[in-house]
Amino acid sequence: MPVCPFCEIKLGSWKELAKHFNDMANNRSDSKHVMWLNRNISINRMGIDELEYSLENFFTKPENLGLWIRKKFIEKFYGDKPHPFIIAMQNPTKGVLLGYVIEHQHFLKNWVKILSSIVFRTDKDDVMMYELDNIKVEFIGYESKPSHYELLIRMGESLGMSREKILSIPPLPATRSAINTWRKIAETKSWLETMAAMHSLELVADRSLVKYGAKLPYFNPSILVSDKYPQEVKDFLREGYEADISHAGEALDMIERYAEEMGLKEEVQVVVLKSFDAFSKYLLARLERGFEIEPNLIKEVFYR
Amino acid sequence: MKIIVNGKEAGTKEKGCALCGATWGEYYEDVDGQKLFFCCDICALEFTNMVGEVKRRNNWNRIDELVINGNYYIGRTCTAKYQEKEYRFYVKFNENGGIETFKEIS
Repeated sequence: MPVCPFCEIKLGSWKELAKHFNDMANNRSDSKHVMWLNRNISINRMGIDELEYSLENFFTKPENLGLWIRKKFIEKFYGDKPHPFIIAMQNPTKGVLLGYVIEHQHFLKNWVKILSSIVFRTDKDDVMMYELDNIKVEFIGYESKPSHYELLIRMGESLGMSREKILSIPPLPATRSAINTWRKIAETKSWLETMAAMHSLELVADRSLVKYGAKLPYFNPSILVSDKYPQEVKDFLREGYEADISHAGEALDMIERYAEEMGLKEEVQVVVLKSFDAFSKYLLARLERGFEIEPNLIKEVFYR
Repeated sequence: MKIIVNGKEAGTKEKGCALCGATWGEYYEDVDGQKLFFCCDICALEFTNMVGEVKRRNNWNRIDELVINGNYYIGRTCTAKYQEKEYRFYVKFNENGGIETFKEIS
């Protein structure tokens, strides 16, 4: 049953949803509904019939939930206009990488806290195993390998910033706002919606996205063999590059299966879109931190 | 003030919101004596905050032309013109329409 992605009320049909949007956006100029339409459907006003068609298409094609999430992720981050952070990662400067380190430490700590909430609330053993394994890889380390969190800090150190300095820097407002979005999801939504909100984001490093239409990889893989970058940078990037290719796909399979079982497909779609918006904001925060470190970076990013 | 959003003139109901170019909604705000069309109150607030910040930083009493490129996701790179002067900047807003990031581009 169609759900309003902002109010989260259920409506009886796509026509009813279109009428709801028409009333909220066109008659009341409600900023939340207008913004949702601008970001997801079109910036151009539509009549009810056209809006009904567009909304139905948006939410029902492709029908497979895992594929739908992949497609929306690509459109948002890897489409005709890839996210500026992804573009910057094709040839990252020291400022870009340090911005990544400083903001991502906060993201990663929050990540494992939210995954812990999924473990606490789910009644599915495979989900528990998956999340505990992910917490181990991200924050604890495994098979004598350092965690992603530790590799991130080492990357920052290799770029000339001390561990103490990295750990002392609070998140930018945009990172804090994104983290609050994910915390709110974890506090108010089911474990499944929380799982979908988080693990859909791991698609960012999934190399198979190119097969589904992504215009760029997460970063230029030649970095991994380049002499331009310290070994610690390559170690951090390689971990994500090798880990997330099957990882995100495994999560999407579980999300799809349990969404069907629990009758939460539309709710999952709505929360995934919210999470993507927060993620976009957060990726930009990594760049903004880079602007502080390298003032010229802003011109390279936006006027290249 | 002439306003160009992502390559198209904006600021009227027909042409679109003065900040984002959208034609949804209908909200008007008077900016420097000019009635401008916005898709919602948040866009209007963001626009007036941005114009105020540019005028304050440059000590201008108005802006003749404002070219805006970008969107909510990536922020906006802009060029403001007043008489013969030109001022380039990057701006990003928070969820309440306030300025979160404002950087001059030399």
